[in-house]
Order: sequence, then C-alpha cells, then structure tokens
Amino acid sequence: MRFPLSNEVAIRIRGLWKRYGLPLPKVVEKSVMYLKKHRNALRGSRDRGPWALRDIHLDVKKGDTVGIVGRNGAGKSTLLKILAGVTSPTAGRVEIYGRIFPMIELNAGLHMELTGRENVRLLGAVMGLSRKEIEDRLPEIEDFCELGDWFDRPVRMYSSGMLGRLGFGVAVNVESDVILIDETFAVGDLKFQNKSLARVREMRESGATILLVSHSLETLQFVAQRGILLEEGKLIASGSALEAINTYETLVFRSEQKRLEHRVRNRISTQEVNIFGARIYGPNLETISEVSSGAPFGIEIHLRLNRRVDRPMFSLGILNAAGILCKWNISEEDGLTIRGESEEYLLRAWYAENYFANGAYEVHFAARDAASFETMERIAGIVSFDVVGPKRARGIINGVCEWELAPYRSDNVAQTNEVVQDTGRQTKTATHHS
Amino acid sequence: MWWAFLQPLILMLLFNMLRGFVNIPSDGVPYILFSYSALVPWTFFTNAVAACGPSITANAEVIKKIALPREVFPLAAVTATLFDFAMSAILLAVLMVWYKVQVGFCLLWIIPLVMLMAGTAFAIGILLAGLGTFRKDFIFATPFITQAWLFVTPVIYPLSSVPEQWKNMYMLNPMVGIIEGFRNVLLRASAPPPEPILFAVFMTVVMLAISWPIFRRLSSYFADVL
Repeated sequence: MRFPLSNEVAIRIRGLWKRYGLPLPKVVEKSVMYLKKHRNALRGSRDRGPWALRDIHLDVKKGDTVGIVGRNGAGKSTLLKILAGVTSPTAGRVEIYGRIFPMIELNAGLHMELTGRENVRLLGAVMGLSRKEIEDRLPEIEDFCELGDWFDRPVRMYSSGMLGRLGFGVAVNVESDVILIDETFAVGDLKFQNKSLARVREMRESGATILLVSHSLETLQFVAQRGILLEEGKLIASGSALEAINTYETLVFRSEQKRLEHRVRNRISTQEVNIFGARIYGPNLETISEVSSGAPFGIEIHLRLNRRVDRPMFSLGILNAAGILCKWNISEEDGLTIRGESEEYLLRAWYAENYFANGAYEVHFAARDAASFETMERIAGIVSFDVVGPKRARGIINGVCEWELAPYRSDNVAQTNEVVQDTGRQTKTATHHS
Repeated sequence: MWWAFLQPLILMLLFNMLRGFVNIPSDGVPYILFSYSALVPWTFFTNAVAACGPSITANAEVIKKIALPREVFPLAAVTATLFDFAMSAILLAVLMVWYKVQVGFCLLWIIPLVMLMAGTAFAIGILLAGLGTFRKDFIFATPFITQAWLFVTPVIYPLSSVPEQWKNMYMLNPMVGIIEGFRNVLLRASAPPPEPILFAVFMTVVMLAISWPIFRRLSSYFADVL
C-alpha cells in the first residue's frame, strides 16, 4: 500500500497485536470461545497466553534513532522480533520502507567451529549480500572488531566480549536502512563501547533509522533522539528520549508503590508501633506530590507508640529509582532526643537542603528502641515522591557546578598536586557511569 | 557415512530372505539388483523426509533470532541426504558392473529423476517440518507413515504385479513413477515408463502446491513456539 509520505517514514505500525503462538482462523477461534464459555466449569480455562503487544500504533521517521524502554516483559524484544521479521504479528500491519538488518541478537547466527572471518562471510550470505559485497566489507569489519589474530581463530575460543564485538561489527558495517539493536552496548571495554556509540551516531547521520533497546538509560539518553515506552504490551508514551526515560522511571516507581499497597515489602513489625500514614509536605505543612528541584521539603509519618520508649530512634532512608540509597538520616544523630510515651505522634523530618537530582524516590522508614537497639517497625517504601526540575543534568546529586575553561599557563597550574588528585577522581567517576 | 551403505543393503538382504519363502516376481532381473535399485531411491526418500521433520527445531537458535526464509532448513536436510544417496549409488554401480548390466544414453534420465525424487521428498518434508514444529506427533508418526508407504510402492515387487483395475489409483503415489523410472533407466536401458512418471510429476506439483503455502503460513510463527 502507498502512503503519500512514505518516503519520510521508515517504519509504520498500525494496530499491531501479538500473542505468541499460531493464530487460529477466526471461525476456529470463535468456536473455541463458544465451547470455552460452556465447558469452563468442566475443563478449566485454556487461555492461549496473554498478549505480548496490544494495539501498537507507531511511525518512525527516516533517520530517527528511537530508544525503546520498558520493564522486563513489556514487549520490547517482541516488537524488535516482529520488525526484524523473525515472527509475524497476530493482527495488524507493519510496514518497513527500506532494507532492514534482519537480526535481533547479533551472535545468534555465529557458527562455533568457524573462524571469525568465515562467520562474517556466513552472516553476510544469510543477509543476502553478494560474495563481492562481503569481501569489500571484510577489512572494514575486521578493523572495527579489533580482534587481531583472533579474527582467524574458531569462534568457540572467543570470550563473550569478543563474540559481541564480532556480531556488533557485522551489524554496524552492513549497510541497512533500518537497524535494530537489542542490548548490545554492554559488549567490549569502554573504548569499544565509545566506538560503537560513535558508529551508531555516524549511521544516524548517514540517514539510517535505528531502534535500540537498552536497560542502560544513560546510553539511551546519549544516543537516542526519540523514545517510546512500553508497558504490558501497550505503548504508553512516545516523545523525546528524555521524556520517555523520565516517564519510565516514574512508572517503575509507581508500580513498586502499587505492589506495596498489596503487600508491604520487608516489613518487620512487633506491634509496638502502629503506622497510620505518611506524606510529603512543603514549607506550610501542605501535602505535595512532587518536590521541586532544590526546594526544601519534609516527610511526615503518623504513628503511635504502644509502649513507653525511653530512647526512640527513627531513621529515614531515601532511595532513587535505581535502588541506590541517596540519603540516610537517624533522628538521634540529628539531635532528636525525646522520650516517647504510649501515644500518637506526628514524626516530621524536614530536609532544608534538597540536593536530590530529578527522578523518582522511595522512602524507607524504621523505628527502633535505641536502648535495646531492637527494631520495632521497618517499612520499605512507606512513601514516595518525584523530584522535578527543568534541568537536564542527571546523576545522583543535584546542584550547579562552576565551570571554567582556563588557558594553560604556568601561573594557572600552581597547585599541581591537588589538580592531579581531582582529575584522578573524576576519571573514576566517569568510568563508573558509562 | 557407513549407514548410507548399510541401510539399503540390510533391507535388500531382508527382502532376498523374504523371497526365499514367498514367490515375488522380478520381471526377469536378478532380484538383488531389482530390489537394490529401488531401495537406493527409496532410502533417500524416507531419510530425507525424516530429516526434514526436526530440521526446524534443530535450528531453533537461528530461527528465533534471524529472519531468513525458513525453507532453507528442510531444503538443507534434503540436500544433505542427497550425499548419502550418492554414496549408496556407488554400491549400486558396483552391483551393476558385477551383473554386467548394459546401460546407454538413457542414463541421463537419472538427472531429472533425482530432481523429481528430491522434489517429492521436499514436498512431504516441509509439510512434516511445518506441522511437526507445532505438534511433535507428526515427527513421531513419520517412520510409520513411510513404512506403510513402502508397501504401496513397487520396491519389493514389480509394478506389473499390481492388479490392472487398481493401477490408476496406485500410480497416484508419486514414488511409483520414480522407482519404476530408476529401474527402467538403470536395469532395462530404457526411458522411464511415461504414464507413471507423468502421474509422479503431477502429484509432486499438487503436493507442493498444498504443502508449501501451509509451510509458509506456519513458518512465520515458528519463532513463537521454539
């Protein structure tokens, strides 16, 4: 079918539904449904499995780099499989304009007994390249993979990183209009990763359309311009990569919250403390759902002590979406020394200095008896909040940094020692992040 | 590789023993040659069909990750069996020399016959591969199907011993034309019998026309069940 704008669209998906398994013809499906309705009590439900993708509509423009985010089982890989043509949709239409790299996991087609070079030829042949085209690209691929002598040794002797590099080298050096990448940025060392990222950008600039799935949100933000978010097979957000990632982070957090409502995680309870509720509040004690970046806020917990506690000790931990403990405060250390009677209280913790970066956070709460150090109550995820702000900078800690690009002169490098130390630390941090 | 020789050889010896008990005509050809010349293509057929069945499941890793025409796998299975066929054909050639069989230019018929034979095996094979990927029962049933098939094919006995009134129905089996074709070309230095071979070509085309679209339809969902 022709569309007026088809030369600007690389991928067009309309009403895509996917359920794993062979779709039955309508008549059979209907009669099965009919039978099921009447024999449910006898034979139990014979559901053919849930939908992996539900009603996806998506247009990807030529030359776009789209990051696909979503939790495990959200349908990301299924979407790529359908686009690659590995499996067919149950219903709906998928149109791809241009040549697509028909592979989702790059080392799938590798033959263990063949050498790297032979495998490249094999993969090329599988992808329909002519012998000459393959031979033309071989040096380029060999160079890219950085395998050295290993390129002519059997693939079974390769390490997993080398396998990944070989697969990725083939994928990015075979000219395709649409490229699908599933979790391959993790291969190789930092240098290779940077090279891969650079190559992906190069492909993007040459007009290739790239879809990539990665759990590394940092990478996605770095490479992708646009992002889509899948949740339980549905496309729930699409926009810029940053928007999709932010929505994803919030979503992960919300669902955690929802889980909590059914079953409080890691709850230790001795019935000595009852907790009635918790909220986030602003300067005027008003309840807020979002905390503005840099603005002070407080956490209030409504609780009741069921016995007299001479030295009650409360602690509050704040975790980001990745589960990293960003802040941990203990009431006693911060100067709250008060005897707790057998009464109801509102426990307030005021965070006057808010260094939290944008994102979703979860609060863990514990109440202890400092005299015996006995834990009376511990709740992971008692309340959660989002920190929102206009700035794009990411990381764990918020706050501006004063930048300077100083000319290198002898009078500028007076405190040599300190500078060297600082650079060392920075490099370490950078390595950790990417 | 020894199996390529052994399988038809053992069957041939068994058939010879059987012939010691019951009277089986062989159209005046030495029975060893008569049965072995049919067993070589027949063994190819059964082995090729049997190899097609699990060819999809055996390549699950590739099928789940790479989009390439799924026909490649049964086709590769059939082609690989052709090598076994060539191996056992060597022994057949030795037998033919031993019995001083006269051959002529008719031997060139071998090429289209082999192609037709491979086509028939492919047509049956892709159907079994397609269905067998979803229901293992089809793969388990394959040996029984081919065993029964052996008895409605002139391998042990000649076509001439089939009652005349059943002959047309009998020839709907494409292997009839193929086996009789091989016998004519190899043992009688003549072209394949026209009527059975036309039936065989027709039936192979019909079977392909049925099984290929079914395979195509099924193959787009292979990755889902592997």
